[in-house]
Amino acid sequence: MKRLLGGLAVSTALSLAAPAVAEDVIENPLADERVRQAIAYALDMETIVDTLFEGKAIVADSMIPNGPWKAPGLEPYAYDPDKARALLEDAGWDEGYVLDVVYYYGDQLTVDLMTTMQAYLADVGMQMTYRKLEGDVIGELTSVPEDPQSDTSKVSWDIAYGAKAALVLHEYYNVYLDGKSAYTPSEAPRNELLRAINGTADLEEQKVAFQDFQRLESAELSDIPLYYQQIYIFESNRLDRNGGPYGNEQFNYDWNIVNWTIEPDENGKEILYTNKGPIQFFTQPWLNPGLTTDAKLLYDRLMTANAALVPTDGQLAEDVQVMDGGMKVMFDIRDNATWHDGTPVTGEDVSWSIHTALKVPSLNGVFANTFQSLEGAAAYKDGDAETISGITVDGDKITLTFETLDPNVLVTFSQFPPLPKHKLEGVNPLEFQQHSFWQNPIGSGPYRVEEVQMNDFTRFVPYEDYYGGVANIDEIVAFPSGDNDPNVVKNAAAGRLDYGFTKSVPDVQALEAMEHMRVIPADINYTRSLRVNAFPKKPS
Amino acid sequence: MLTYIIRRILALIPMLLVISFLVYLGLELTPGDAVSYMIPPDVAGNLSAEDLNALREQLGLNKSFLERYGIWLFNVLQGNFGHSLEGGVPIKDIFLDRLPATLELSAVAIFFSTVFGCVLGTIGALKRGSATDSGLTVAGMLGVSIPEFFFGLVALSYFSLHLEWLPVGGRLLPGHDSYWDRIPHLVLPGLVLSLMMTAGVMRYSRAAMLDALGREYIRTARAKGLPEWRVNLMHGLRTALTPVIVLIGFRLPTLIGGSVIIEQIFQWPGVGNEFIAAVRGQDYPLVMMIALFSVLAMLLASLIIDILTALIDPRVRLE
Repeated sequence: MKRLLGGLAVSTALSLAAPAVAEDVIENPLADERVRQAIAYALDMETIVDTLFEGKAIVADSMIPNGPWKAPGLEPYAYDPDKARALLEDAGWDEGYVLDVVYYYGDQLTVDLMTTMQAYLADVGMQMTYRKLEGDVIGELTSVPEDPQSDTSKVSWDIAYGAKAALVLHEYYNVYLDGKSAYTPSEAPRNELLRAINGTADLEEQKVAFQDFQRLESAELSDIPLYYQQIYIFESNRLDRNGGPYGNEQFNYDWNIVNWTIEPDENGKEILYTNKGPIQFFTQPWLNPGLTTDAKLLYDRLMTANAALVPTDGQLAEDVQVMDGGMKVMFDIRDNATWHDGTPVTGEDVSWSIHTALKVPSLNGVFANTFQSLEGAAAYKDGDAETISGITVDGDKITLTFETLDPNVLVTFSQFPPLPKHKLEGVNPLEFQQHSFWQNPIGSGPYRVEEVQMNDFTRFVPYEDYYGGVANIDEIVAFPSGDNDPNVVKNAAAGRLDYGFTKSVPDVQALEAMEHMRVIPADINYTRSLRVNAFPKKPS
Repeated sequence: MLTYIIRRILALIPMLLVISFLVYLGLELTPGDAVSYMIPPDVAGNLSAEDLNALREQLGLNKSFLERYGIWLFNVLQGNFGHSLEGGVPIKDIFLDRLPATLELSAVAIFFSTVFGCVLGTIGALKRGSATDSGLTVAGMLGVSIPEFFFGLVALSYFSLHLEWLPVGGRLLPGHDSYWDRIPHLVLPGLVLSLMMTAGVMRYSRAAMLDALGREYIRTARAKGLPEWRVNLMHGLRTALTPVIVLIGFRLPTLIGGSVIIEQIFQWPGVGNEFIAAVRGQDYPLVMMIALFSVLAMLLASLIIDILTALIDPRVRLE
């Protein structure tokens, strides 16, 4: 606690010292945490969630979702416009300053939220304009100043409204790591807490470190947390999960798909209709490992996780051993695990997958952290070594030795699907997604591709030699769609959608009104926030 | 006529070059690139700037505009239309895969709108001022005034969701891929598209027919004692068809380019749907292919219309 308080004091001192920068730099009023706190107090998130989001969200008091890892007693920043005005007065807020707020979503709800925020902020004497980022959105959001402590901002906005979809809690805060944040200048006390979060695989120690960080976060408000978004799983009454759990559908967990059943149609065939099938090609699963239907059905992982995405047991691996305090991990792959063409899944497949993934640009951040922590990974990535020295394969056994501790190694292997080396060997990692494999891929999971009519539908049938037994449902038909399927309501109403998930509030309301559909909300790591740019700016 | 046709075809080459450059320039002026679209902003923070730059380098997006256009043009002249930036699928394959669906829809729309538009327009002209004519005029006005997405959604809501007579969208269902199986899928999008086009054709053919019926050669035909049906159809309608053919001829290439709204509403896997996705994703090789094909179709349609007009109307001479 002493360390934390010390950190807070330094942080405040640095914030107040912000005006003392070079002459060609404009003082950024948002560097003052009182201004950021005032914004948080000025927004009545309870009312916004109840009205604008029809209650389909949870007001956030931290980037970390509610649950056992949440620090007790965090300041909730409940709506208090008087307090906001007082903080602004203390900070010497210039009422002529117009905040430039940006967002990147294309839905009407976001525009409505911006209008609402504008009204709330005007009420406490803050002006804001808003605009949708177009074009190089990633560059506009993530460009980092060369000197993360004192350089001027590389992004043009004051506040960016966005979301963080996290696989592990570390992802919420590792964006503040030295030289990684486009909007929060680097500070020693924060870096120290980040090191504590990332420096241990012990869950209790991690929990304490996370709670320390939340207290710092709550005072600093580098991100002003707005609300936690839930995911809504929808199912038709024809479908029965037979005890299978409901969890974070955006990733992979043990959802018991093999035992799902569905009422037969008029021809006596058990067909499940779903969406998020391929449009022009199957999306490679190393960036978003569970977002598409095919990623969930086609591939198994070395480990499985429970509905809360906590790794539990081996999946492709029948044995998992963690040694040396997490610095060494061994997976023993099942003898009867095979790819959909009958070829056995081997340690070589896993080794090849890790080697290739490390050079694929669009790799999930959690996977990247794990693989980069391997012994010899840096030399391999830089081209100084032909292989990663920390990977050894002995038949079906693969052992990974780490140079630095990665607290999320098991999470990675509960989500990262190894791919068949014999089908992809020689692929240029920079053109990974462009390989012809993604027109009709094979995997190691319970369903295989039977027919692909790109842009029409994809048919999946049970893989007859699946080591976990043959799945019950005769056929799964996935209609093509992206993450936001505009045809959910229409297809569900017509009986052409038995399973799926959405975050769209209007879609959820329409689905709830259908007698033959049920909607199940599930908590996920998905926090919407205002990223506040505290870097000094150059004169325009 | 042959010299005329050859001359017109040769004139297409510089026109296509200029248009391709303008389309490419238009894409260049659009902010962002394909990589900005490939990586969702919610996960972008996990990727390094070096990784994104490597991806841009690999896709050739870091080259200058003129360099990229030159490479693209050089490849196209060799018959290589390139690959989709996002998925690596050859552009030719994507296009040929989507084209049949669009042609199917277009053929239905052109056929029904031509037949019904001409028949109803002729009836309106022959019964000018009657209740039938007024009714058809009002229907025609409604047809051209109400946006097609409205017709589409109403039709979908009533015929698919309320009456459950027809599928809500798509072109095929698994295990139902014979041509007859496809017809129920084609009915609604075909009907809605036909309806919109019928209104236009009807109004055009009514006006053209009225114009033709007032000409002196019609009076001469009647004076010669020809039966009324022969005067109307052989002398009146034949001449009246000329402007109608021009209208239909110019609609055909736009339909081949894809009826974007109808394809979106009915989840029709045609060129229009693909074009929208390609523009959104800044997949410039695909956008260029579809745009160029549409332009080429338009230019060829213009040539064919000129030839057909000359064949139908003996007064027109091609020079």
